[in-house]
Amino acid sequence: MLKNGLRYGSAISLLLLTHLSMLGIVLVRGNYETPMDLVWLAVAVLGFDLVGIIAASIYRQMTYTLDLMLLAILNMSLIFQSCFGGVDFFSNGLKHLITSAAAMIACELGFLLTRNHEWIRMQKKYIYIVIGILILAILTLTGGRSMWITFKGFSIQPSEFIKPCFVLVCAASIVELHKKIKILFFYVSKDTLCLCAATLVIFGLQWWCRDLGSLPTFAAIFGCALVCRLCYPRAKINKTAIAAMCVGGVLLAMIAWMLAPSYVQDRLHADIWADQYGKGYQQCQALIGIARGGWLGVGPGNGKLAGVFAHESDIVFCTICEEWGLLYAGLTVVIILIMLTTVLMNPPKSYYHATMSAGVVAAFIAQMALNIFGSCDMIPFTGVTLPFISEGGSSMVTCGFLVGMLKAGQSPLFHHEVPRRKKKPQEKPPVRRRADA
Amino acid sequence: MKSIRRGQHLITIMLLVFLLMFGVLIYRLQTKAAFYISHSSDMSLGKVYDRRGDVLFDPKATAGTYGADYFIDVGNLIGDDSRQMTNTLVSQNRERLANFSFMLGEQTDGQASVCTTLDHTVNRRVYDRFGWKNGCAVAYNYVTGEIYVCFSKPSVNILDHYENIDSLEDGSLLCKVFYPTVPGSTQKIATTLAALEHMGYETLMEKSYSCIGGYQNLGGEVIKCHKDAGHGIQDINEAFANSCNPWFAQLVEDPGWKLSDIEETYHSMGYNINNEDTPQTIDVDGISAFTASTNLTDKTDFNTQWGCMGQGTTLVSPLQLMVWQSAIANQTGVATMPHLIDHTVSVSGKAGAKATTAYGQHRMFSPENAAHMREIMRYNGINRYADLLPGSVVAVKSGTAQIGKDKTENSLLTGFVDDPDFPVAFCIVIENRVSGEVTTSQIAATMLQELKTALDN
Repeated sequence: MLKNGLRYGSAISLLLLTHLSMLGIVLVRGNYETPMDLVWLAVAVLGFDLVGIIAASIYRQMTYTLDLMLLAILNMSLIFQSCFGGVDFFSNGLKHLITSAAAMIACELGFLLTRNHEWIRMQKKYIYIVIGILILAILTLTGGRSMWITFKGFSIQPSEFIKPCFVLVCAASIVELHKKIKILFFYVSKDTLCLCAATLVIFGLQWWCRDLGSLPTFAAIFGCALVCRLCYPRAKINKTAIAAMCVGGVLLAMIAWMLAPSYVQDRLHADIWADQYGKGYQQCQALIGIARGGWLGVGPGNGKLAGVFAHESDIVFCTICEEWGLLYAGLTVVIILIMLTTVLMNPPKSYYHATMSAGVVAAFIAQMALNIFGSCDMIPFTGVTLPFISEGGSSMVTCGFLVGMLKAGQSPLFHHEVPRRKKKPQEKPPVRRRADA
Repeated sequence: MKSIRRGQHLITIMLLVFLLMFGVLIYRLQTKAAFYISHSSDMSLGKVYDRRGDVLFDPKATAGTYGADYFIDVGNLIGDDSRQMTNTLVSQNRERLANFSFMLGEQTDGQASVCTTLDHTVNRRVYDRFGWKNGCAVAYNYVTGEIYVCFSKPSVNILDHYENIDSLEDGSLLCKVFYPTVPGSTQKIATTLAALEHMGYETLMEKSYSCIGGYQNLGGEVIKCHKDAGHGIQDINEAFANSCNPWFAQLVEDPGWKLSDIEETYHSMGYNINNEDTPQTIDVDGISAFTASTNLTDKTDFNTQWGCMGQGTTLVSPLQLMVWQSAIANQTGVATMPHLIDHTVSVSGKAGAKATTAYGQHRMFSPENAAHMREIMRYNGINRYADLLPGSVVAVKSGTAQIGKDKTENSLLTGFVDDPDFPVAFCIVIENRVSGEVTTSQIAATMLQELKTALDN
């Protein structure tokens, strides 16, 4: 029996209530020139809610919590983005509405592609090919050591699309892990070797493109995969080996820390307040903004952070804190966390989906931590986006796809006939028709 | 299912770590928000008051409400919120002055304020006593550490809002009390203390050297005395009172001690010798006062001897000269650290804890030698400065510092009132003083008498 926490009607009521209360705050405390600014925003938000609810009803799965929560967070994000620096839906929010819609579609796509763990597992070689194509696109189309492809004023970040692909190659079934070969003194599965190679290539690409901000996200996904691979049943990995690997990981991190380029070292050792109007400008303004906002905020559109570079992306959490207060910013984080905890409510039924879900959660947690704690000077500032909230089509579509994968783990498909099985029915263990765990 | 549960555990751990960090973030924001907002250029700040409730800083001050030059004596000490000056009380205490709380946000009518130990009336009178001369003066309670008087001339009138910044005199934007200057013969206090520490009181008292108006040291160079005819044969009391350079040159050369002995005492008093140490600062409620420095190479070297008499490369801030007096006056060898802030008031009007007395981290010299030094300075005060404060003994040391290539002379006076009911130590500097102009002793007399009257009331 799948758990949803709330009944479908109650969940929809809560969703609408959240958005209506936010629109009410904009009406009372917001900074808008004419009531029409607010009307357009309300029409967009409630319209998106309506379309989303209808779509969710049509494609209603065994669990609807994630669909509705995704809709809730995307529309909250739409309200935030439309209000930064003054309520203006057409200037600030329209693009975000389009990318939010794309995120919803990507979510459904991610769900459909990954809900059958046996089928998606067999596509792994194609996923590697997709990663390869994306890397080639970055190397050839970005025009130098960059992560952005710009075409006629339209920019996309292919490295974002590598994230869900990387989660998929990190996910593994027990069958794959059992197929081991001996290298020197170690028995390693072929799948793990391929994964390590792909990881090295991706890390190298990040290093080459000087986009070290995303590196911790990939490292978190890989770390999760490694732990899952070490701890699968009958892995015969003792605690000493795990401890040795942890020490090795720490050593590697320390070496990377020491060998990091000068611009990274600057960020690692930066005292932002000593250079408030130089390198520490963004973070100082962000923290001043949070302080100015306090718990209740200065009101939508009344913040001063809207004049600071990347207020809608890299320091978006602080911009929300300033305008809406820490209370609403915290609520936003809580909603994202609840989305991630649905995995705990409805555990995956297969080992492949379990490892995939862990990878998705790792990606979201790492990215949220980098954005929130980085902009608040608790960890080095990396300039990554906050999932669902930051402006940026590539990021939104990727986040939507990842949520689809999370949903797939909770609403899996087991009875799909996979062509390869028909050819070699003898290789199929009977138990794997339900789950290989 | 066991392996799936492990995956679940992994997810739980990640979520818990994130939640923990988010909790830490909320705690940081709650506790450090005032610090963050204090860096905002448009933050509403509270007022600064003196010990009697006189306003020393008001962000809404105008010439009409306070008078055109009301803040002139504290312009470069208390400062303002323009950020033109950074080493001032307001600049360094914006967090305490911020009318802000994280719960309620900015409060334009908040009651955040800082109450200082300064006496604005006395401060202004002593400031005016300088007349057209420039310099600085500082006085504090050597038992409690409360600063009563502190100013530096030329100053800046913050009500002019820096519109005349191009025509301001050099040094207007900093309070010279906290910055190093050539100490002149006031340095002989430190040299005498070094001799007391390493030769012993009896031995030093037995030392007598002759002054015939000059002394050719073992390096072959002549140290001249300010009295051409010389002072004749003197002991330490007489030489200290006469500020006799040839006598002190012979003391430095004395075979009874080594250069390292002088260095050791200087070090413990906070000198940076030969630039071998990292420069330190004395913190006065966020304001940084620079500590002393000198160059010592050889006992027979002219420059070393000259440095031990407070000339050449020797530099000490007036604040530090004053702080040393506390260790002598209290006869402890430990400095009483000065403070300007008595207490703060929060944005909601709640008074914070009153400042407590802080002491130097280590003993600079022994209590016995502090007592001996006190007697030497008292001897000087009784014989030469008896009229500074009628009814009290003021132990002092004067100094004349040669500044720059044109050898203009700054006049200094540092000392303390040897009275447990009026425990005040001070340091006064008059720049480019020439004969016939106001003297440091006249300013000291005004300062001590005004201060005594004010504190008695």
